[in-house]
Amino acid sequence: MLFFSIVMIVPFLWMISTSFKTPAEVFQYPIRWIPAHFNWSHHVKVWTGDNSFVLYYLNSLKVAVLSTVGAICLSALAAYGFSRIEFKGRNPMFLVYLSMMMVPPQVLFVPKFIMFEWAGIYNTHWALILPGMFTIFGVFMMRQFFLSVPQEISEAAFIDGAGHFRIFSRIILPMAKPSLATLAIIDFSWHWNDYENALVFLIDHDLFTVPLGLQNFILENNVDYNGMMAAATAGIIPMILVFLIGQKYIIEGVASSAVKG
Amino acid sequence: MKASWMKRQQYLGYLFIGPNMIGVILFFIIPAVYSFYLMFTDYKFMSPNTKFTGMANIQRMLGDDIFYTAIQNTLLFLLSVPVSIGLAFIVAVILNRSVYLKKLLRALYFMPYITSGVAVAFVWMLLFQPNNGPINGILRSIGITNPPGWLSTMDSSMYAIDIIWIWFMLGYNMIIYLAALQEVSTELLEAAKIDGARTWQTVRSILWPLVSPTTFLLLITGLIMTIKQFGIIQAITQGGPGNSTTVLSLFIYQNAFRYYEMGYASAISWALFLIIMIFTVIQWLGQKRWVHY
Repeated sequence: MLFFSIVMIVPFLWMISTSFKTPAEVFQYPIRWIPAHFNWSHHVKVWTGDNSFVLYYLNSLKVAVLSTVGAICLSALAAYGFSRIEFKGRNPMFLVYLSMMMVPPQVLFVPKFIMFEWAGIYNTHWALILPGMFTIFGVFMMRQFFLSVPQEISEAAFIDGAGHFRIFSRIILPMAKPSLATLAIIDFSWHWNDYENALVFLIDHDLFTVPLGLQNFILENNVDYNGMMAAATAGIIPMILVFLIGQKYIIEGVASSAVKG
Repeated sequence: MKASWMKRQQYLGYLFIGPNMIGVILFFIIPAVYSFYLMFTDYKFMSPNTKFTGMANIQRMLGDDIFYTAIQNTLLFLLSVPVSIGLAFIVAVILNRSVYLKKLLRALYFMPYITSGVAVAFVWMLLFQPNNGPINGILRSIGITNPPGWLSTMDSSMYAIDIIWIWFMLGYNMIIYLAALQEVSTELLEAAKIDGARTWQTVRSILWPLVSPTTFLLLITGLIMTIKQFGIIQAITQGGPGNSTTVLSLFIYQNAFRYYEMGYASAISWALFLIIMIFTVIQWLGQKRWVHY
């Protein structure tokens, strides 16, 4: 079992090991896992060269944080409306949400491209942040959680004279903290790793996020294998850190949204 | 009193859902409708005269050889889904029994899923190097004199992509299986043990049928997720060599943003939508099988 697990992470280990090797050692066989001399120059190049990963990190951080914060607020609000307020048209509206999940992103790329061009946000970070703030998955996930909170709690609060906004902000949201954390981490990882949208909506090099920066670095240095692996390492490390910190939330969130959703 | 309360509820409902609804309308519904319209035009990026061309794009698609190649490649890509699910089940069953290291191993399997697809794509690109890559090095050392060309030849490239994707999805599928296995009652397993069932028998006639709702769910969601995926393929092969890794979703991207044939790309994207809808309908019809345990 341990052996299979190691097979799973071998690509990562090879990546890290290669990033410290000299060009001559890259394809040496048998594989030399620990390089003779640790060569930091590739990592230095990735972080300080013309295409510095510092820039890509800052761009990704901006896009991912703003999108995630927006997505959490808007999803929680909408999920509360869909699960705990009764009003006309609620169910048909929810059906519309459901049906939008079926539409593949490819259908939306061209019209979004044209719309963003028209609105003047094409080739700006807003083209990623604004749509990123609306996640149908997030509404589903939070709705699922809010439905599991007994209605009696709201009724008791109503009798005490509280309105929906008060119940939402004082009672339901604090209870939903673990769910909010799960959504935050999963959403952040999506935005951090999002390659497709960045590929379609960004052109200027100084706007590039980590996946685009990585691709750019590798296309320009396609003979520098050590540099490629140093760049790949730089691209992966933040998510591994996020994963190690929020492992419980990620795994439980993914499991519960698929099995129980 | 009651009427005004109802009215207030109505108003509050919109107030809560409104902000999100605006975004869904702007970024989902309007683009979807717009795309449907574009399908019947010859819209090209930067060209001022867009004409209504009726069914021309659809006819062109049905006569396009690459469209059929893309469908074929997509089907080959979808092969990875059942393979990954099968492997994930085996790993989950073993991992579910082991007490030690369970958390660590679970995390190791899940790692690919959380990391950037583009980064791992480039790592695999080097691992798969036909002449001096480590994978073929290992294959040669165990006596395979003519290992496959992986990403460099037309017959093997799609399978190489499959391997990467299986690896990528395995952790996710396994986590879902682990969650499902946790719901299997221990009494049932103990009863089987008392009756003298062997491990293999228990797995085959108790665990596998009991998690079948999960298998079904993973299969359908995995197929839909895989059909949409094109980032990893775009990063490694851009659809090549030849068109051997051009899947449907990548074909749409290329037509839209490399050739700027946006009307045509819209038509193909609705073909993709049709396929996804078929899978969704299957899931909906099969819901009875998996919602009630």
